[in-house]
Amino acid sequence: MTPIRLLFPASLLLLGYASLSGQGTRPKSPEVNFGRDVRPILSEHCFKCHGPDAAKAAAGLRLDSFSGATAHLADGSAIVPHNPRASLLIDRVSDPDPLMRMPPQGAGVSSLSPAQIDVLRNWISQGAKYEKHWAFVAPKMPSIPTVRETQWPKNPIDRFVLSKLEAAGLKPEPEADRDTLALRAAQTLTGLPPTLEELNAFRHDNQPGAYERYVDRLMSKPSYGENQARYWLDAVRYGDTHGLQLDNERAVYPYRDWVIRSFNSDLPFNKFAQWQIAGDLLPNPSTEQLIATGYVRMNLTSNEGGAIPEEFLARNTFDRVDTTSTVFLGLTVGCAKCHDHKYDPIKQKDYYGLYAYFDSTQDEPLDGNIALPPPFIRATTPEVEARLTLMDRRLRSDLEAIDVDKATKWFEANRQPPLVSHDWQKSEVSSFATFDEAFDNPGPAEPGQVGKPAWKPLAFQLGKDFPNLIGKDNSFVYVKGTFTLPKERSETLQVGSDDAIKLWLNGKLVHSHKITRGLADGFDTVKVEFRAGDNELIAKVINAGEPDGFRLAAGQPGDAEVDKALAALRRSPKDQTARRELQRAFLEYGPETDQAGAYRKLEMDRTTLEQSAPMTLIAREMPKPRPTFILKRGLYDQKGPAVVRHIPSALGSLPASLPNDRLGLATWLIDPSNPLVSRVFVNRVWQQNFGTGIVKTVEDFGSQGEWPLNQPLLDYLSVSFIQNGWSVKKLNRMIVTSAAFRQSSRISPQKLAKDPENRLISRGPRFRLDAEVIRDKALKGGGLLVERIGGHGFKGYQPDGLWEGSSDPASSTHFYVRDRGSDIYRRSLYLFWKRTSPPPVMVTFDAALRDTCIVRRSTTNTPLQALAVLNEPSFLESCRTMAARVLTTSGSDAKRLQTAFELTLGRPPHPPEATLLLRAVTRYRGTYQKDEVAAQRLLNVGDSPQTKSAPIADQAAWMIVCSSLMNTDEFLTQH
Amino acid sequence: MSSSPNTDMDPITEAELLMTRRQLFGKATLGVGTAALSRLLTLGGMGGVMQMASAMEGPGHHGIAGFPNFAPKAKRVIYLFMSGGPSQLDLWDHKPKLNDLFNTDLPDRIRNGQRITTMTSGQTRFPIAPSRFKFSKHDNQEDGIMVSELLPHTAGVVNDLCVVKSMWTEAINHDPATTFIQTGSPLPGRPSMGAWVSYGLGSMNEDLPTYVVLHSKVSSGKPNQPVYPRLWGTGFLPSQYQGVSLRSSGDPVLYLKDPDGMDRKTRRAMLDDIVALNHKELEAFGDPEIAARIEQYELAYRLQASVPDLMDLSKESKETFELYGEDAHEAGTFAANCLLARRMVQRGVRFVQIFHRGWDLHANVGGDLPSQAKDVDQACAALIKDLKRTGLLDETLVIWGGEFGRTVYCQGPLTHENYGRDHHPRAFTVWMAGGGVKPGIVYGQTDDFGYNIVDKDGNAINPSADKFTPGAVHVHDLQATILNQLGIDHTKLTYRYQGRDFRLTDVYGHVVKDLLQ
Repeated sequence: MTPIRLLFPASLLLLGYASLSGQGTRPKSPEVNFGRDVRPILSEHCFKCHGPDAAKAAAGLRLDSFSGATAHLADGSAIVPHNPRASLLIDRVSDPDPLMRMPPQGAGVSSLSPAQIDVLRNWISQGAKYEKHWAFVAPKMPSIPTVRETQWPKNPIDRFVLSKLEAAGLKPEPEADRDTLALRAAQTLTGLPPTLEELNAFRHDNQPGAYERYVDRLMSKPSYGENQARYWLDAVRYGDTHGLQLDNERAVYPYRDWVIRSFNSDLPFNKFAQWQIAGDLLPNPSTEQLIATGYVRMNLTSNEGGAIPEEFLARNTFDRVDTTSTVFLGLTVGCAKCHDHKYDPIKQKDYYGLYAYFDSTQDEPLDGNIALPPPFIRATTPEVEARLTLMDRRLRSDLEAIDVDKATKWFEANRQPPLVSHDWQKSEVSSFATFDEAFDNPGPAEPGQVGKPAWKPLAFQLGKDFPNLIGKDNSFVYVKGTFTLPKERSETLQVGSDDAIKLWLNGKLVHSHKITRGLADGFDTVKVEFRAGDNELIAKVINAGEPDGFRLAAGQPGDAEVDKALAALRRSPKDQTARRELQRAFLEYGPETDQAGAYRKLEMDRTTLEQSAPMTLIAREMPKPRPTFILKRGLYDQKGPAVVRHIPSALGSLPASLPNDRLGLATWLIDPSNPLVSRVFVNRVWQQNFGTGIVKTVEDFGSQGEWPLNQPLLDYLSVSFIQNGWSVKKLNRMIVTSAAFRQSSRISPQKLAKDPENRLISRGPRFRLDAEVIRDKALKGGGLLVERIGGHGFKGYQPDGLWEGSSDPASSTHFYVRDRGSDIYRRSLYLFWKRTSPPPVMVTFDAALRDTCIVRRSTTNTPLQALAVLNEPSFLESCRTMAARVLTTSGSDAKRLQTAFELTLGRPPHPPEATLLLRAVTRYRGTYQKDEVAAQRLLNVGDSPQTKSAPIADQAAWMIVCSSLMNTDEFLTQH
Repeated sequence: MSSSPNTDMDPITEAELLMTRRQLFGKATLGVGTAALSRLLTLGGMGGVMQMASAMEGPGHHGIAGFPNFAPKAKRVIYLFMSGGPSQLDLWDHKPKLNDLFNTDLPDRIRNGQRITTMTSGQTRFPIAPSRFKFSKHDNQEDGIMVSELLPHTAGVVNDLCVVKSMWTEAINHDPATTFIQTGSPLPGRPSMGAWVSYGLGSMNEDLPTYVVLHSKVSSGKPNQPVYPRLWGTGFLPSQYQGVSLRSSGDPVLYLKDPDGMDRKTRRAMLDDIVALNHKELEAFGDPEIAARIEQYELAYRLQASVPDLMDLSKESKETFELYGEDAHEAGTFAANCLLARRMVQRGVRFVQIFHRGWDLHANVGGDLPSQAKDVDQACAALIKDLKRTGLLDETLVIWGGEFGRTVYCQGPLTHENYGRDHHPRAFTVWMAGGGVKPGIVYGQTDDFGYNIVDKDGNAINPSADKFTPGAVHVHDLQATILNQLGIDHTKLTYRYQGRDFRLTDVYGHVVKDLLQ
């Protein structure tokens, strides 16, 4: 009872009327499900103005919650539960006057259809229950549906699928034939056709479980991990360049290789996710865990002249937040950059709460246009680490074999007394316009120059870094010191400098090295002859840019350590560290014995092996996080209130037991109770295998996304994925061995009408293959594919001028120099990915550009695709080498045609196809026999050698036939 | 103020029909596949597909339902993009009072605390650099317009130009600014304007792409600032709507040419085999995508003839070459590209974009700007005249401009003859012609320093993207206006992605009616 109600007797009247006539007299209305039926209508037509965006709630009305929708406003309540007639919502959306009707004209959303209004009416009649959006409620293991056709299902997936089919009055298709199945499973799991051996083994395996055995074999191949990695690399926007402006090369491919390894070793997805988001914050992170954090660094970066670091910090962080939420949560939080999300319960504050987890990494906002903007590590693989451990063990046992007493005696007999110096001084600093001038121009301290520098004392010590001598760019300083010796002596100096260096000893130039480097970047070894008495050493240190410094040590490398160890052993002969040090020094710097030679070689091999591992970008957290603010309208210079790290409030809050940093965030994501992460991922794996997700909008599980067509199936997969230890292999195996996946992909007219997009899985998967698979298949058929895993991206055939024409001449990726040799035949996954100009064939076939997170590629069908497969050199070259393989088949053209079919389509030809193409090969052969010059020109494509063992007209004719097969829809389609 | 909807069809029924179709096909497959599928349905089964496959219909996409939203003024667009940011102060925005202020400091009240790039933010002074170039007055439909001596030919067609001196943008660096003006967002991932148009309106021809991009040689040899495929890409739209880059060397379209040693007869025979194989597959599997694939192969075959025909300038008259200048004989020059653009719009290409780089003159404006201007001046004027004499100008919207303007203060050493200018987003000049814009007018003005946009009384306007500010034209306003001329309500051309209806103008943009006839 409220005073407001009294003011509106009409409402009361209506209420009474409705309650009199509403129930009982009418047939029972269909049961309405809020999430499936109602929320999409409200979301599409109403939430823009009456949704979660509190600031925009027009007329104070919010329709996204029960309390908001039933609140008493000036005219009454939008919704009166059980009473559609009293509900103003129904009045307003069905008002015949277009001026009064909601949503208003010009709101950019359309009016409701009568059917939609009926849904709302029924929903209100049934109590207007609001339920939490389905995707925000953790999945429970659903009960397995009962089905009429009990013979068909092979695993639980099939019962979920079949129950939908039976409800729609459809029957599944029969199982596809073995050749088709073999190709389909191999393409979906490994992105390649099966080898002939694999195919034949499967063809001739008549025991039960043949297909499952075949699938297991496919999943144990390294190409499995490569193919699974593709999808992940799209999602995280992996690229080999920074992606903006100069678009210079970026060194991060060890991350890509780690992703491949992880899928192959079936690293549980929860760890896979956690390491990427926060591997650096785990206790004592392993190399693998650090490599994984390349994920955090995958955002586009720039160092454009004039760029404002703060602006790029915001851009970089937006990129990380948007990607993380799409990849793991299936939520598009980006809208909340500028305002509360209009459709999903993500507040602007929540956006910046997530943002705060990602804006405090150590990397600079601007990338310096270098390949390795710190932090980075050396990315040793587990194999290399194992070999290094083995080598370390051998080195240690060599050391332990050394007699310490013998070593002590040898060193005591062979060591020179330590060199002593005194009277160190430095000159004033001289500055120039350029580094070159600073290096070349002599100052007064140099021999032959007029005048004397004003020397000032310097607390310089041998063997210690002396930084900040100069403090200016393009400048030099002189440093001098005196060495007093009882007798003449040969000596080795180790000279470190930042940057360049010149050395004079007793007025004679003994060393000059023009270089830009840091003190930590190693040193020059300089052999000098000291005379008896005083020796004057002058060093000129030339600095190119901040910082600067100088370091000088005398004696053999290791002298200092030996001196220290000898002294320690004199004090306590049992000092283990000193004994070990002396043993090591004895092998490294002691007498030249076979034993020492072997040790030094092994040590060098170890270093070489370690240094063969490439560097890769990683994430490291700043010691103290940056303060984070809401950025109004998403503008970096429009700071609003401060925000602390938190997860979107609609999804709960981070448990107090977790650290409030990326590690806490990652750990929360992979908690089995998280409603989204497992569903979002299994849905994408389903999409990989069937072409479309169970939720078609794989990128959006929010209220604007699609309601899952088969939520029990999604939940079953999601819960069992977690129960199976987050094993991606088990998930793939379950899908690929289901009867649903094994159906023929034939489309009957009935199914085309009832299930045009195959959303009910009324047939097997059928969709155009991805760019990478099409190219790799072609190379494989031509026997060209080089299946080497990992490493630096390769540059294959590419029309001239694509990079040069689109990039700044100052870019490190301005000139395209393609690779030679076997590299160019590697799998497409390893194509060097310049983000502003990706490989053209890939782009033509809808590959993700890798400049934003893409979890669903488009699959277009264009004339440019036809031109690529018809004319691009790798396709033509594959046809040429395939023709050579075909021609090694002895016997008739018919036999050869069979080989051509096996190599392209993985099946023998049907009789009409054989007739057609045998006629074609005869015709082409005739043409090219008459014009062998043309035949040879056709065969000139590509780097690989041409066979000499077949007539060129035959080769040309078969090359065209192979190309015809490669251009069929069947070749280009998963079917 | 109220107007009843003027439609023959019940809007609800129409919406339902539209929705049903969307449910059937899904948005991601809109396009060729859908076209094929819908025809398959109407033709009633497999027999229909077989017939249809031999009755080809052009590049297939004919726009989305309801577009254009109203009668278009322009059918085609030619966008001349000057990458790097041309100096408005040396070309269009005449500021004679600056001559007395040479090397004096830019007053604080003019800069007014606005941000500047880190290339000049460290400068201790912001000395004024007056233009070293002479301006002279040329008649237009109003009081005439002052044009720089660097643009003598363009000055001759100002009677056809609608010159906007009050463009502004929010981005201050090239990559974000160029991405912004091309795609409506400074961050990558959105469709380019041409892709939006191509998606919304579809193709007007049978054998050429809908959206074509051309790159021009820069005679200074300093093509600073990259222009890369993202700028004519499709973002989240299906990739068929992306701009096709026509190259001046090698294959004009990638992989257009048949391999060496294969003649057209063999190619045709081979395609016939492919069609026959695909027909058999279609019979066996009934997938309408197969029929679509057959179509695309036929279209590819036609492209192999139509593109070389388009690129072949040998039949152009002597008069035409006189109009465009000697440069037009050399493939890949801006002049040759302008001539190609005219040939394309004649052939029904809907959106042509010509890129010319090298305008990013942080130094040596005196040395490099004349050559930049010379690269484009005659051809710009020629294009206008040529379109006019061929009767195409009325329905072709031509746009000239860059991603931002340049500062009045000098970057680096300053002399009367030479100086550099940094990026200036707060005011710059673009011009438009044809396609229903007002000819011979000037819109908007800036203060005596060319720094801020001002109203007619000289008071600074502080424009905001949130609301339309008369006198100022934001990037989203320009985009809205261009779409408007094509018959598109910029608020209606949307695409649902990640749960949101995206559009070129984001949530901003207003049609600048004062620019329109």
